[in-house]
Amino acid sequence: MTDVDPVIRLLETARGNPVDEPFRVTGVMMQYYHVCERELWFESRNLEIDRENPTVVRGTRVDDTAYGEKRRNLHMGMISLDLLEDGRVVEVKPSSRLTEPARMQLSYYLWYLERVAGIEKDGVLAHPRERKREPVELTDERRATVEAAVRGIHETVTRETPPPAEEKPFCDSCAYHDFCWC
Amino acid sequence: MDRNYHVFSDGRIERTDDTVRVVTDDGEKKYVPIENAEALFLHGQIDFNTRLVSFLNKQGVAMHVFGWEDYYAGSIMPKRGQTSGRTVVSQVRAYDDTDHRRQLAAAIVSGSIHNMRTNAVYYDGRGRNLETEITDLEAATERVADDLPVDELMGIEATARKAYYRTFNEILPDEFRLSRREYNPPPNEINSLISFGNSLVYANCVSAIRATALDPTISYLHEPGERRYSLSLDLADLFKPVLADRVLFRLVNRGQLTRDDFETELGSCLLNERGRQTYSKAFEETLERTVDHPQLNRNVSYQYLLRLEAYKLKKHLLTGEPYEPFKRWW
Ligand code: SF4
Repeated sequence: MTDVDPVIRLLETARGNPVDEPFRVTGVMMQYYHVCERELWFESRNLEIDRENPTVVRGTRVDDTAYGEKRRNLHMGMISLDLLEDGRVVEVKPSSRLTEPARMQLSYYLWYLERVAGIEKDGVLAHPRERKREPVELTDERRATVEAAVRGIHETVTRETPPPAEEKPFCDSCAYHDFCWC
Repeated sequence: MDRNYHVFSDGRIERTDDTVRVVTDDGEKKYVPIENAEALFLHGQIDFNTRLVSFLNKQGVAMHVFGWEDYYAGSIMPKRGQTSGRTVVSQVRAYDDTDHRRQLAAAIVSGSIHNMRTNAVYYDGRGRNLETEITDLEAATERVADDLPVDELMGIEATARKAYYRTFNEILPDEFRLSRREYNPPPNEINSLISFGNSLVYANCVSAIRATALDPTISYLHEPGERRYSLSLDLADLFKPVLADRVLFRLVNRGQLTRDDFETELGSCLLNERGRQTYSKAFEETLERTVDHPQLNRNVSYQYLLRLEAYKLKKHLLTGEPYEPFKRWW
């Protein structure tokens, strides 16, 4: 049954009746797919991340303290997202280098809400450091990009071995850095 | 990287609110900065209770107990923050696959001989005549092959170690001769120093392995279960020459450790409290030394090299990427 479209596999898993094995994609996995596929592979194997890594600590802090306004956390199957009071889904972008990955993560949440729960929401990408916000809407083009990414993620995480290490601009702040290069 | 704290005096170690303190037999109180502790090393006769153990567990701090005889008595390990079934499965698979196990055992032996040789070459360059031993170590390296049975690899390692221990007599002053390597209890000063240093390396490897979710009881060169944490024995072999032996040479040659630092009785010779203090201090300083790491492109401490070794092994097991044993490169 391995030829089932990964998008179908994911949706069936979310609905509680996985096709042979469950296939999950979390928001972080969607982000990593656009940052580094090797990082995604590590993440899919639950490899320990280095909790002492200063960047990881910094990343968490930005997320926790960005804006004073009320946010509600919503867990839904394989995703966990933040809702603003006006009902929009918000994703905080930690650094300007990570705009596209954060945008994809947000688009994935919107797509997931639409396909799994039948809820249509708008999104907003928050840039605390620049005090800017960018609206993100689920267009047909974005839907297609999300689905292509889901297929890409499936291909990466089902590989026996991770993609080889390649120096990237994100390596310095990657939680797997030492593990990846040692 | 967090630090190790050594307690040498006799007394009690206890939790008081959110701190840990040592109350010595003469009533002195010392606080342990537990927030940045990697592990506690207990060397004296020290009482503790379950309240302390649960607290250390919560803080993720290990406690290594050093007794007499061969020094290392055991560890109280915090429950692992994350266990990883997949990691353990991959460890067992590699152990069960004869070729794979041999390959890992061979890597460890070749790394370990390399690091012994590095010490010999260093002292040869400082006026000791160690050519014969260096030749013997090189001959041993050449015999190492991926497809040899593990006990043969063990034999090669033992031969190399013998040649290596002969260098000690050249490197050290005459009153610290090593006739041959003997254990529990060590019969003379040098045996005792080797044992003490090795058990510190071993305990630090236990801490390093704990940080990776590797199962410390599944090993490749040593037989699993040979000691409680046999994977630590595997990794420790690579680091003993770099950490323990260098500290030993330095302290003895500079006269910082003398015969007065030992207690001799009934065929055993053990470091006394002052000797252990001197050695542990020098050992911790060595762990904090740094070296430029070519792959990571930054300076890392010797202690972190232990952690990296555990990462390397784990990465190899989970990804199939080759495992290169630690070989001193500087
Ligand atoms: S260190 Fe670089 S190559 Fe390695 S996983 Fe992280 S981002 Fe990818």
